[in-house]
Amino acid sequence: MNQDKCTIEINGVEVEARPGQMLIEVTDAHDVYVPRFCYHPKLSVAANCRMCLIEVENVPKPLPACATPVAPGMKVRTRSRRAIDAQRSVMEFLLINHPLDCPICDQGGECELQDLAMGFGRDVGRFSEGKRVVRDQDMGPLVSTDLTRCIHCTRCVRFTQEVAGIQELGTIGRGDRVVISSSIEQSISQTVDHELSGNLIDVCPVGSLNSKPYRFSARAWEMQQRALVAGHDCLGSHIFAHVMDGRVKRVVPDACENINETWASDRDRFSYEGLYADDRLDAPLLRENGNWRSVSWPEALAAAAAGLQERAGQGLAALVSPSATLEEGYLLQRLMAHLGSNSIDHRLRRRDVRGQADEPGVPWLGMPVAAVEKLDQLLIVGSNLRKEVPLLAHRVRKAAVAGAGIGFINPADFPVFFPVASTMTGSPDDFWLALATLVRAAAGDGELPAGMAGLLAQAPEPQAHHHQLVARLRDGTRAAIFLGQIAQRHPRFADIDVLAATLARLTGASLGYISEGANAVGLALAGVLPHRGPGGKPRATPGASACEIIGSPPPGLLLFGIEPEFDCAAGSGPARSAGDGRFVVACSAYGSESLLAMADVILPIATWFETEGTFVNAAGRWQSFAAAARAPGEGRPGWKVLRVLAEQLGAKGFRYPDAGAIASELRGLCSDGLPDALAHARLPVAQAPVAGSIGLSELDVPIYRIDALVRRATALQQTVDGRAGAPPAAAQGA
Amino acid sequence: MSRISSAIKTFSLWDLLIGLRVTLRNFFVKKVTVQYPEEKTPQSPRFRGLHALRRYHNGEERCIACKLCQTVCPAAAITIESDVADNGTRRTTRYDIDLFKCIYCGFCEEACPTDAVVLTRIYEYHMEEPGQNIMNKDKLLALGDKYEGMIASDRTTDAPYR
Repeated sequence: MNQDKCTIEINGVEVEARPGQMLIEVTDAHDVYVPRFCYHPKLSVAANCRMCLIEVENVPKPLPACATPVAPGMKVRTRSRRAIDAQRSVMEFLLINHPLDCPICDQGGECELQDLAMGFGRDVGRFSEGKRVVRDQDMGPLVSTDLTRCIHCTRCVRFTQEVAGIQELGTIGRGDRVVISSSIEQSISQTVDHELSGNLIDVCPVGSLNSKPYRFSARAWEMQQRALVAGHDCLGSHIFAHVMDGRVKRVVPDACENINETWASDRDRFSYEGLYADDRLDAPLLRENGNWRSVSWPEALAAAAAGLQERAGQGLAALVSPSATLEEGYLLQRLMAHLGSNSIDHRLRRRDVRGQADEPGVPWLGMPVAAVEKLDQLLIVGSNLRKEVPLLAHRVRKAAVAGAGIGFINPADFPVFFPVASTMTGSPDDFWLALATLVRAAAGDGELPAGMAGLLAQAPEPQAHHHQLVARLRDGTRAAIFLGQIAQRHPRFADIDVLAATLARLTGASLGYISEGANAVGLALAGVLPHRGPGGKPRATPGASACEIIGSPPPGLLLFGIEPEFDCAAGSGPARSAGDGRFVVACSAYGSESLLAMADVILPIATWFETEGTFVNAAGRWQSFAAAARAPGEGRPGWKVLRVLAEQLGAKGFRYPDAGAIASELRGLCSDGLPDALAHARLPVAQAPVAGSIGLSELDVPIYRIDALVRRATALQQTVDGRAGAPPAAAQGA
Repeated sequence: MSRISSAIKTFSLWDLLIGLRVTLRNFFVKKVTVQYPEEKTPQSPRFRGLHALRRYHNGEERCIACKLCQTVCPAAAITIESDVADNGTRRTTRYDIDLFKCIYCGFCEEACPTDAVVLTRIYEYHMEEPGQNIMNKDKLLALGDKYEGMIASDRTTDAPYR
């Protein structure tokens, strides 16, 4: 008989199974439903709810399906008298202490306990003694607690241990006095602060842990579920927006095994609150003699078109949010080309573009997201990984837990909750020299790579641990080097990039980039770069890059989806003074103070919740989505605004019927597959770097300050990370 | 013969008299006409008239914003918006019943887990301005406060049969 397979009988039907597999996995695979609470496919088996009791032939007592391994020849009955009796009895016990408060419970209507009580509950309770009441605990601004409803399945505890990596919740007490609590040793603040803690809401099968921002504002059955792609990090997690009366009420993850599994980061889950911020624009604004006036779309567009046309000859530039959709980026790029300018860029926080001509055209991860957890050696350079891309950090954690060697080269020892093989920290200015040392170690006694001597001269002598790390990278069958967002924001990025590419080449590792925003890969493909056009093809005459545009703004400026003072590297965005003759058009969902100070026309555009579009994630996957809600007031999707603006400027060929037509046109311009980051040898850039020192706070953008939407999400701003990242002025005001 | 009797009946208005006999008899029968508005027909405690929202004895609103009435309403006459109240409980911020849409089926009362929304025995009401058909939360609570005696006694009377 085949060692890997055996035959068992479930309810009289013979099925194939793997010996040692848990019975519930077999029944799930064959569409035989066994009720359960504590079992979760992504978590370890606890077998403490006892709801999945089933009958196995020749076993005197019912057995829990989630913790009973398959043995050859087993005969299982899930709907026999005995199994049903056991399940009904367990349900009666579970309901003893569960309050009858479904009408005020946010889980009501989507509650696993409610559903199973319909199937296995008695219609009349026999329990006449007093019910248990548990005091609620404040677990922070994201997760609300109603601990009286808890059935002690411990899914939440296992989630914090096994997925988040830090046990923020635990059980206190025994027997019927067990309570879930965050008052445990490892949780210092007694709140759930992990960047994935919102998933507690989903893993809780009852209404014990729920969403605090959503609390009591709608019922599950009133909302419509619309699929979206999350727009805050480069993974492009699949999410659902739940919409009632045209307003997004909450966001939940959509299962996508290849990207976000079943999880969503808190940033993706709670950022929707920013949609309804006070400064959300509901009409176009036009500056007249220094005063702002709400105007109609035709008037605003005419003013914008006239201003841009007038300055077309003198110099125009566009700064684009790295989370703009592919369609918006492509239209902007075409619009700027029509106006005769190549100065368009989405790399707003980049400080060093010396090596851009040699960089790979598309800064992508170099592998599918799911492949990250299969890596056996990974070196991450310049990344606060957990805060940059929380769910990528989760994949890296899975790899680390499985035994992969993870190394960090960082300007600070950012905490991660998994075993790290080596961490090399240095000052923000020269932490990257460790990478140069590794290149020296990798080159060994042999010749240094051509032209590298100057760069490597600054590096310290390799020590034993450097040689070990290089040896591990070399020995790894699946090894990779990732350049994080801190590396990409660094004033010596060109050098870091060349060193990383050299190290990857010497050790046989692959090279990947953890890009900023939701769509850096897509915008690179769309040609929102000064030196590369659509499809990543080099431009004949490169335009000014974002840092040059910010440093010396041209007479005409188009800002798309950004708040210059927060989204740009320099910290303030392009300077503007009254009467300087500049003309600034801002397409923005929000009328922030800085935009009001610097723009001449503000066109209200939709956020990614409210527009159809496409994001290309870090693994190069094109993901299109439709609008989940309507932009408030006169706000319109960005690609429609650009379509009309281009028509007004006399550009031809902008009459796209829908966003899909734009994406498919661009697709035709993109060659198959993304470029290999190591496709051609790279030499150190000759140009000297910008002198000066840089601080950690300039390199590391706080997790909840990354874009305009998230900066306005009130609950996220109240978290520990949100408060730590708040600008000093706001912190003083609060 | 038939022609003679027919003529007599015609000229003596015989058929009219036969008819008037019914009229005459009813002069002496007990009257059933209700002299509305001076007199009113008796009502069942289950009568389904104008809506009201009730409070507990301590003045707390009974309604917990569970939206079951809104969900069960076959005419989609109820609109509810909910939020967290100052004391942390679940409360409505808006509770509107459109009296033009309402078909007075009483499902809302049946669905209510806290006996908050009830149909009172009030049936004499009218609207003069557009928009008065919308009963908002304040109006419904005021009705509940005013007629709590009637509402409570009706529920008590009917309780044994539920």
